[in-house]
Amino acid sequence: MAEKKEKKPLDLNRRQMPKQPPEVRKYNFNEVAFGYPEDVAVEEAKRCIMCKKARCVQNCPVEIDIPAFIQAVADRNFAEGIRIIKQKNCLPAICGRVCPQEDQCEKTCTLVKKEGQLAIGRLERFLADWEARQGHVEMPDIPEWTGKNVAVVGGGPAGLTVAGDLILRGHRVTIFEALHRLGGVLVYGIPEFRLPKEIVNREVEYLKRLGVEVHTDFVVGKTRTIDSLLEEYDAIFVGSGAGLPWFMNIPGENLNGVYSANEYLTRLNLMKGYLFPTYHTPIKAHRRVAVIGGGNVAMDCARSALRLGAESRIIYRRSREELPARFEEVENAEEEGVIFDFLTLPLRYIGDENGWVKEMVIQKMELGEPDDSGRRRPVPIEGSEETWPVDAVVCAIGNSPNPLIGTTTPGLKLGKKGNIEADEETGMTSREKIWAGGDIVTGAATVILAMGAGRKAANSIHDYLMGGNGHGNGADDGSGANTASDANAGADQNTT
Amino acid sequence: MHFDSLVDALEFAIEKEEEAEQFYTELAEKMERPHMARIFENFAEEERGHRRMIKDVIMGRPSFVPQPRVADLQVSDHLMDVAPSPDMDYQQALIFAMKAEKAAYALYTQLSEASEDSAMRDLFHLLAQEEAKHKRRFEIEYDEQFSGEN
Amino acid sequence: MFRILACRMIVPNMHILTVEAPAVAREVQPGQFIIIRAEEEGERIPLSVSDWDRERGTVTTIFMSIGRTTHRLARLRSGEYLPTVVGPLGNASEIEHFGTVLLLGGCYGIGSLYPIARALKEKGNRVFVVIEARSSYLFYWEDRYRMLVDGVHHITRDGSKGIKGHIGRVPEILASLGEPVDRVIINGCTFCLKRGSDATRALGITTIVDLNPIMIDGTGMCGVCRVTVGGETKFACVQGPEFDGHEVDWEELSQRRKTYMAEEVIPLRTSKCEEHMHGEEHERKEKHGQAAAPGEPPGRERKQPQHTGEVS
Repeated sequence: MAEKKEKKPLDLNRRQMPKQPPEVRKYNFNEVAFGYPEDVAVEEAKRCIMCKKARCVQNCPVEIDIPAFIQAVADRNFAEGIRIIKQKNCLPAICGRVCPQEDQCEKTCTLVKKEGQLAIGRLERFLADWEARQGHVEMPDIPEWTGKNVAVVGGGPAGLTVAGDLILRGHRVTIFEALHRLGGVLVYGIPEFRLPKEIVNREVEYLKRLGVEVHTDFVVGKTRTIDSLLEEYDAIFVGSGAGLPWFMNIPGENLNGVYSANEYLTRLNLMKGYLFPTYHTPIKAHRRVAVIGGGNVAMDCARSALRLGAESRIIYRRSREELPARFEEVENAEEEGVIFDFLTLPLRYIGDENGWVKEMVIQKMELGEPDDSGRRRPVPIEGSEETWPVDAVVCAIGNSPNPLIGTTTPGLKLGKKGNIEADEETGMTSREKIWAGGDIVTGAATVILAMGAGRKAANSIHDYLMGGNGHGNGADDGSGANTASDANAGADQNTT
Repeated sequence: MHFDSLVDALEFAIEKEEEAEQFYTELAEKMERPHMARIFENFAEEERGHRRMIKDVIMGRPSFVPQPRVADLQVSDHLMDVAPSPDMDYQQALIFAMKAEKAAYALYTQLSEASEDSAMRDLFHLLAQEEAKHKRRFEIEYDEQFSGEN
Repeated sequence: MFRILACRMIVPNMHILTVEAPAVAREVQPGQFIIIRAEEEGERIPLSVSDWDRERGTVTTIFMSIGRTTHRLARLRSGEYLPTVVGPLGNASEIEHFGTVLLLGGCYGIGSLYPIARALKEKGNRVFVVIEARSSYLFYWEDRYRMLVDGVHHITRDGSKGIKGHIGRVPEILASLGEPVDRVIINGCTFCLKRGSDATRALGITTIVDLNPIMIDGTGMCGVCRVTVGGETKFACVQGPEFDGHEVDWEELSQRRKTYMAEEVIPLRTSKCEEHMHGEEHERKEKHGQAAAPGEPPGRERKQPQHTGEVS
């Protein structure tokens, strides 16, 4: 978040992707964007100037050979295009939709300054959808079994990537998933209108067809511990993702009608609350919903609330420039009529006689002088308190990593927030045979970063299984000597 | 509260810092989770730093230089109190620490305002500013760690 | 998919379900719960575990047919399947040699206390059980308890067995035991937990309650199960479900459990020929404090609100 995001859309020559008009889509849960038609995809692909030094590839966490697949689209050789992507990414339909391409591959596109960056993400999505429409999916050859078994804990983006990568190298892979469906945040978090669940299911089915074994309804740390799994598996990857949602710790957060983003989205997406009562999990149709936070999750909540018929607003403590959400999502939310209240901080919630939230007290903020780190932090404006009527609040300010594994696996080194500490390049943890990646390591991040971490871990696990060379940093004693300096970062040192 | 001499006042301040250090050390020992114990050990270490600084003043080696007021981000003002417990997490620990530092700041500010002796007034003012700086560090950490999306 | 080995009514409106879930059976401890889905479109509801067989790989739970999901569950028969049985979730009960322990159970809690009683006996405690119901015909598992514990007492609303009244009369039983009680453990509906805790507060006896808030994932992710205990927010699924009954904010818990009361009746209004259970009017408010707000006129149309929240 250090650098301000370029919020100006550069799409001079970039081909537009057809979308449902805002006044229509705000009343339904169908996917917002339709995807490129073939001809438009080919036109867009032809804009690529095929840089020799493809900086887009360097900026892709899973290093897809972007120019090669773009060329294939330009040549109308779509089967070849999808094959190239799938060498590196087993979930292209998902990444084409939810990756923050503007901060990754597309950010460094040479066309950025000339005529608008190439729509790499949209083309990736186009190929994946094209393949799905063909009705048959090319299956790669699976090498003979290496004799090694790998357990993957958590069936989210990180775990699915690890499973996909390792099965292609001949290892047997078993995914253990706590929920009743695979996909992690892709199924419980990201709404249908941004990522149809059918697409997630399609990619999950592909993995199963590759031979990945799946145990849903299995909570590692409860149903079985990591150490118990290690009796059967040669290596374990932990990608157990988000844990306890954060609240602000202000009065009134336990009133009825105050939700965590996780609860709100899980009811809606995993449990299909928007189809209540056909599906049995209820979700309230509120009239005035305030979503606290400015990330992608907050946008998802606000846009969902809108679709359930509410007046929906985003309450964000900083200004528009600092919004951590993807620009495209902010724009979509604005078009649909989500109200944005910047520089606004909730102070407390007030309930009615039945314990339902009815009002929120907010305070207006202003950005203070830049501090040592150069950031202008929001400070309250004296006397700016106001009381606003609300009947629901969704707290979308993030969550801590899931505690179940950390607390049941002795010797696994944890960071300050209870996250598992893992090597950035390999995903190795402080324990032999255990790797970790995704939100359980980094805290809430993006789907593609989790996939990137999964990719690196898969490589490291493969090397370990085949080379049998020892586990790099197992010697770490877990003293965590670096926490003091972390805590002091950006502030003056007057300790020691 | 009244102090007869500057040294009395300093000794009081040292005692306060010792109490804080002691408190964080004991809290660290109570933590169920090792990573939380380390966090409180670090807090204790910072209080130890404070104490050393005050001792330097007594020894005639003042390391305080007059400073402008430290901006108060008021991050903790509206947060609910947190009681120390063995299953605390980092968020709770920071809220607790921010509030503790704020209370220390308020105490020194009060002492400064109540002091008739100008040297004592300056000293308490400086101590208050030190606490404010300390609090601000926790505030920034809280801001970065727990308010990234807010 | 998890195969049902037995599902039958044990006393009016109370059902016993035994399901094949070997992974759960292998690890489960007293005081823990499972989360189930009764059908593909169904919600996830938590149910306390009442017994298990590690060798056969089965788990047994007792539940009250009270909302949409439990109605459905009650209609399932052996040989059918549940799409989800996940667990064991929550922390196990603290089981030590406490001395003398009084267990207080109402409705499904009579079942879920059983493994706790067994474990306490194994640790050498003297264990007394008080079971509470509207009338004597709603008691079950009395024989199991008699064979296990040092004494079984009854409270019935209609006086048909034991003391006449509600759970608030437990101090009389405590006084009659002739020995000091070191710990009270209560399982049952929110109302029962609250009244029981209120009754022991003045006596200064440590009182542990098994809370039953609404849950979805049961692994700490959604946060819907948060309860205030001793002024602090706790997530019942990972930090509970057992807490100090004297520290729980009961009003908040009751209110939070009512969150989806209005939605609970929607499927009843819109569904066509589902065989509805008839709301059992006699089990209304007194038994489940959450069923109706204080002062609300009784009405048999109002369904128990537990829907999502129904817990064990």
